[in-house]
Amino acid sequence: MKHLTEEEMIGHYYSEDFCKAEAQIHLQACRQCAQAYEEFSKLLASVHAPGVPPRGSEYGAQVWRFIQGSLLPYGPKRRRRFFHWPQFGYATACLLFLAGAFWAGRFWEHAHSQPPVTSSEQQTKERVVLFVLDNHLDRSERLLVQLNHADGEGHYIDFPLQAEAQQLLSDNQLYRQSAAHANDPLLDAALDHLERVLLEVANSGNELTSTDIASIQKEMNTQGLLFQIRVLRARVSEQKPNAHAIRKGVNT
Amino acid sequence: MGNNDHALIRSVLAGEKEAYGLLVARHSQSVFRVAFRITESEADADEVVQETFLRGYRKLQDFDARSTFGTWIYRIAMNCALDVLNKQKHQKMVPVAEEYDCELPTVQVADRAAGPDRLLLSQEIETRRHAAMDRLTPTERIAFVMRHMEDRSTDEIAGALGIAPNSAKQAVFRAVQKLRQSLAPLWVRS
Repeated sequence: MKHLTEEEMIGHYYSEDFCKAEAQIHLQACRQCAQAYEEFSKLLASVHAPGVPPRGSEYGAQVWRFIQGSLLPYGPKRRRRFFHWPQFGYATACLLFLAGAFWAGRFWEHAHSQPPVTSSEQQTKERVVLFVLDNHLDRSERLLVQLNHADGEGHYIDFPLQAEAQQLLSDNQLYRQSAAHANDPLLDAALDHLERVLLEVANSGNELTSTDIASIQKEMNTQGLLFQIRVLRARVSEQKPNAHAIRKGVNT
Repeated sequence: MGNNDHALIRSVLAGEKEAYGLLVARHSQSVFRVAFRITESEADADEVVQETFLRGYRKLQDFDARSTFGTWIYRIAMNCALDVLNKQKHQKMVPVAEEYDCELPTVQVADRAAGPDRLLLSQEIETRRHAAMDRLTPTERIAFVMRHMEDRSTDEIAGALGIAPNSAKQAVFRAVQKLRQSLAPLWVRS
């Protein structure tokens, strides 16, 4: 037989036991629990509420007099309006904020899209320069190849080669100045070297023998210059596709 | 009275502060009674009554018209009493001694009701009950007073204290256990 726990007795005493009937049946059947419950009931019954000191009929008025000074009257209820000023203010502020954010975004986008346009112009210019320079170096390379191979005895440098050298010379002067201005020492040095060779060829007169050519080749190191020109051409060829790609990126 | 209370509340919320005075007059006695049973001090009970009606006025806009003002203010009174008990808990208290003990810093209370045995027993029960009540936590004390003296249900206790019904039931259980431990020796002797 399962006896009543203290908690069950408390619940039963305060008539909150949901199994009250069951507990009652157990108490009738179990003498031990019945005795324990009787003692428990006596003990709780001996605990009386302390006598409450009397308060006169004026007590409520006294309490009210004491507290009324610190109470602020409630304001009459306002009619519900379609909108309240604070809410309207918040809504307006939100709208202004959104509009500001929109315009700021547009200005920002506009401001940040300008440099690519400028850079695209620069890229276009650069691309043209690279194209012309590549063309100049190509022509110079061909001239130097001809010069390096024109070493047969009794050969004379033909007139078209000298004319080519004269044309290249005037162009080369411009490119060399540009290279110096653009602070490109490698290109500047190579063009300077080329200029001296071109000058020698262009000013050699109508009779440039193989001896003269050998002298130029040796003194002016045309083989080395040819190598320099080829390196520069390779560099320019690399720069050209990059410029083209940037240009395409801007356009798209 | 319930309907009248609601009418008075409407008047107060419409700006008639004086109408609250009528509510105070109507319910101050019952609030004082429960406040005194919990605090067992007139001064503390008066403080609880004033604080209860002050809080009630400030929260009157939140009053649910479906409930009665009496129940609502009763809950506020419980909370105010709980605050007072918690405040006292932090203050240094000198326990009341049942027997003289030179080592314990206690105070002996003169027993003026000495007389027949029965009266003496009741007096001792009351002294021990008082001491046992002081040992209860504020929640246990309020739960026990509401259950044993005010005959409130577990749900009402839980609602007033803002705890789960099972917690309220456990608080009553712990309070009874502590009281039983204090009072049981007297019953064995008798």
